Amino acid sequence: MTVVPRPLVWASFVIAIAGLLDAVYLAYEHASGSNSFACPETGHINCAKVTTSTYSELQGIPVAYLGLAFFVVLVVVMSPWAWASRSPAVRWGRVALVTGGLVFTIYLVWAELYRLDAICVYCTGVHVAVFLLFVVTLLAEATRVDEDTSAPASLHS
Amino acid sequence: MASKRRPTGTPANLSAPASASASASRSKAEERRTKRLAAAEQARRELAARQRRSRLMGVGAIIAAVVVVLAIVVAVGLMHNQEGAKTTAASDDVISGVTSIPAETFDKVGAGSIKTLPNPITADPLTANGKPRIVYVGAEYCPFCAAERWSLVAALGRFGSFSGLGQTASTPKDVFPDTPTLSFHGSSYTSDYISFTGYETQDTNGNPLDTLSADDEALFEKYNAPPYVGTSDTAGSIPFIAMFGSYASQGASYSPDLFKGKTHAEVAEAMQDPSTDIAKNVDAMANFFSAIICKATDGQPGNVCTSSGVQAAAAKLPTS
Repeated sequence: MTVVPRPLVWASFVIAIAGLLDAVYLAYEHASGSNSFACPETGHINCAKVTTSTYSELQGIPVAYLGLAFFVVLVVVMSPWAWASRSPAVRWGRVALVTGGLVFTIYLVWAELYRLDAICVYCTGVHVAVFLLFVVTLLAEATRVDEDTSAPASLHS
Repeated sequence: MASKRRPTGTPANLSAPASASASASRSKAEERRTKRLAAAEQARRELAARQRRSRLMGVGAIIAAVVVVLAIVVAVGLMHNQEGAKTTAASDDVISGVTSIPAETFDKVGAGSIKTLPNPITADPLTANGKPRIVYVGAEYCPFCAAERWSLVAALGRFGSFSGLGQTASTPKDVFPDTPTLSFHGSSYTSDYISFTGYETQDTNGNPLDTLSADDEALFEKYNAPPYVGTSDTAGSIPFIAMFGSYASQGASYSPDLFKGKTHAEVAEAMQDPSTDIAKNVDAMANFFSAIICKATDGQPGNVCTSSGVQAAAAKLPTS
């Protein structure tokens, strides 16, 4: 059996839950947001400008909803029960998820800074959560200990 | 050598000294085996530790690379400054095209397909120099202001004349980027029937332009919010138009997407042709603005206020 350091397991779980809560708020804001043809307040910190921009949808699907679905899956795969799994599909799937999420996050940061000239604080919270999960996941995989080979020989049958 | 050999007989066949010797021999063999296993285990652990250190270094390199990429994206992005269009004097062709749309075109378009109309409000009469007054508040960067200005200029052109209108485009950094439009900044409007004040609070790049008078600021604060226009989420949004104390509107009446990829001259030309989508929206909204103005001017001038296009719009105007 392989074991991941418990602090990393719980850190990933807590970060994923925090990211999920942020994603829920953004999805709610998207759903309840105004669709009027009007310009909201101005400034660099401007969630409305970001969440109503052309970059707020991907192939017609609101990015807020994609983020919500992404974090629901992340909470599952970052749970202590999922970390206990030896399944390569779970382990590599988790790495693929956070890597894909990080790439998409870089794209969204680029859109905010280079195209919209506005930053949404709540979106940034989600971006930070994805980055931290990427770091924690890689560290967890790198420090994963194989109990079968590291256990004292006298315990072997 | 033979005494060190492992005994092969059964215990019953062994004498007592031979049995003790065999036991000692087995004990030594067991000890050697344990040492070998311990050494192997130690080697396995050292190998695992080396592999773990190697994996950690690899992961550390990946994370460091990601941090560097993110830092570059953010640092360059924060220094990045994409400039919007410069505002210039509007060309005579564009101004004449927008302010001299044939009456037949307005009449053919009628009420068009406009769904978002100004709200009727009950407020103190808005006047200046004894004339009914319209106040417009927008900004050059705003794509929705960009869209709405075309209709407002077309309508006001039926009751008076502008000088000093600018032409510009909305910011390239927002939705509907670079929407072509006119600008009221630095312009003046004269009319025998009404008064008009247009504020452009910021330029295309967000730099401050016009400052509202105290009275108009109070007007903007009070009437650019529910229950007069919009929702609590959109209070203070632009464009905002207050008309005579009887109507107010917030936002554009149609999508700025209508103007995507068009030059100012092409927009002005499309407004002359009642079959274009631009005319069906922009000219139709101009008919609605005209209908509201006609209410305030008691139907003057008659040729505008009795036209079928304005009458069609008036019939659809919401009333309080």
